[in-house]
Amino acid sequence: MIRTVNAGRRGLLKKGVLGGAILVCGGSLSLWGRSGQDGPPPRARLTALTPHEYAIFAAAAARLAPGDGASGWPTAASLDAAGKLDTLLAQLHPRAIKEFRQLLHVFENALTGFLSAATPRTFTRSSPDAQDERLQAWRHSHVALFRSGYQAMKRLAHAIYYSSPEVYARIGYAGPPVVPQGPA
Amino acid sequence: MSLSLPGRIRDARAEPNLAVECDFCVVGSGAGGSVAAAVLAEAGARVMIVEEGGHHTRRDFNMQESWAYDALYQDHGNRATEDLSIVILQGRTVGGGTTVNWTSSFRTPERTLALWAARHGVVGLDAATLAPHFAAVEARLSIREGDPADVNANNRKLLEGARKLGWAPELVRRSVKGCARLGYCGMGCPIDAKQSALITYVPDALAAGAHLFTNARAKLIETDRGRAKGVVCDVIDPATGRPRRFVVYARRGVVLAGGAINTPALLLRSKIVNASDAVGRRTFLHPTVPLVAYYDEPIEGFYGAPQSVACHHFADRGDRVGYFLETAPVHPMLSAVALSGFGAGHRAAMERLAYAQATIALLVDGHHDDEGGRVAADRDDRIRVAYPLSPALREAAVDAIKNMARLQLAAGAREVVTLHEEPVVIRSEADLAKVDGVAFGPNRHTLFSAHQMGGAPMGEDRAQSVVDSRGLHHELENLWVTDGSIFPTSLGVNPQLSIYAHARLFATEIARSHAG
Repeated sequence: MIRTVNAGRRGLLKKGVLGGAILVCGGSLSLWGRSGQDGPPPRARLTALTPHEYAIFAAAAARLAPGDGASGWPTAASLDAAGKLDTLLAQLHPRAIKEFRQLLHVFENALTGFLSAATPRTFTRSSPDAQDERLQAWRHSHVALFRSGYQAMKRLAHAIYYSSPEVYARIGYAGPPVVPQGPA
Repeated sequence: MSLSLPGRIRDARAEPNLAVECDFCVVGSGAGGSVAAAVLAEAGARVMIVEEGGHHTRRDFNMQESWAYDALYQDHGNRATEDLSIVILQGRTVGGGTTVNWTSSFRTPERTLALWAARHGVVGLDAATLAPHFAAVEARLSIREGDPADVNANNRKLLEGARKLGWAPELVRRSVKGCARLGYCGMGCPIDAKQSALITYVPDALAAGAHLFTNARAKLIETDRGRAKGVVCDVIDPATGRPRRFVVYARRGVVLAGGAINTPALLLRSKIVNASDAVGRRTFLHPTVPLVAYYDEPIEGFYGAPQSVACHHFADRGDRVGYFLETAPVHPMLSAVALSGFGAGHRAAMERLAYAQATIALLVDGHHDDEGGRVAADRDDRIRVAYPLSPALREAAVDAIKNMARLQLAAGAREVVTLHEEPVVIRSEADLAKVDGVAFGPNRHTLFSAHQMGGAPMGEDRAQSVVDSRGLHHELENLWVTDGSIFPTSLGVNPQLSIYAHARLFATEIARSHAG
């Protein structure tokens, strides 16, 4: 199921000092996040995300649903996972969009990378192994906010990737049957 | 405006009028709204239904998850508790949840009705009172005894395992006619075999003159001196992309049936809260714990009737929270989201999907001291659902995982893999103890809900309820609730049929006293 972070800013702050610090990292203290790396440009004009946010999710999706293309598993990029995320987000409540974008910045941020996984680099500039370490750190974190953030990105990436017909054959799924349609 | 017979489905976005008038405005077109609208319209009342979702029919139902969850579910498939620990599957389309439900049909258990009478002040609502309404709905929805031919391999494992363990599984009654057992009930039936409200009670209501406005989100209930006057809806104007107001004035009354979560939120937004402070509280979800087993032979849980077997052996565990067992369809997106982990490990699990069987345990919340969750409506119209996992619920979930694993092993599973973020692999009884050593809690194990109940509970005690035992609001003389919000606890069975029957009973009494 596709989902986004639901907790409001006030709710996030209630998570405690660390939660507040994390929010600051994703917000005003942008120095640690400035050196992030943008990947290939979006295929279409973005409606909910900035190009940098698009790149952050694209990088996360590449690790969450890795396909190298050569083994028959398409890459998340080839399925335009980040572009589909942008389309999905644009339909949601404005605050849901804002909070998911905020989550992306927190996730990308070098300081939170240091706090959560001892990797003081932005996510997009980290090696694949370091990226996996950060995802694992968030997945198993004692901080509820990190676990929620991981689940938001994980579920979105997997929902987009595995609802793509290009993947069906790889998982032994023949797809929906053909149903003859009679008159309405 | 004038109403003509029969009524029709109209897109509120294209509606030239900013305000319309009727006798009864029904909010929501699912199980609770459709039957209420049909009963009231057939009694001669002018009825207008407002539906937040769009009008999608079998020609739209392409059996693709990427379309279905986006188009047919609340929040485009994104509804969840605020900490994301429980994914909430809830319909948002004409027919509401009935358009996407998995067809399982149960009457309200008598022990649940007895609990409501004993502990929640519900009066005059016993099995005998409800029986004619269940019978009428069952006839309209073609609900018959469970059919062994409906049992696909996914459900057969539940049947076989439970039988071997002496847990008395049962065949599930389904709301279908001419079912081809395609397996896509949750994405809308492409052949109209599922007897959803979309093709039964909504057409009945329209035939009796009701009108249904789609893409109209009920935002506020207008009140005046103890009466509900009408419903203010938000409609997105396609020309400007901005919301505009569309008001349905109701001379005789307003019936709320937007579903548990949306109905309490609408009451809260409208500041219709009574002394009990019960609105939004005691929201129940049947928190659902899935467990995946892998077999040597293909299961292909993608196909076949999604639910045809159930087991209520553990529904009543005395002082401990009970649970009942069913199956879930094993479609790629739903499975990928449910399976824990990422990267190569997750991909390896997905490669075995055709051999996977999914049993689910639905926790019977609210029957003990657990208070369920809470719905809140923020100033900016955002709905939030908080649902703490109490120790009693966690105990039930862990017990359910072990018993589901026993069942799957008894049915011949090669291995069972839990959906903890630290998955436990179970190959024999000896492995079950490992489950106790793994953390179970928010976002440490996959949980979902397809059953939403409570938030505007019924009862005669105004200190703990919102509406009376016939759905009438305690303080507004012409406002009723006819959806799953009214249930004081979870049901312990799939709730759709109960919602229909309660709504039919309530609407029949509204028609008798107010529609003439």
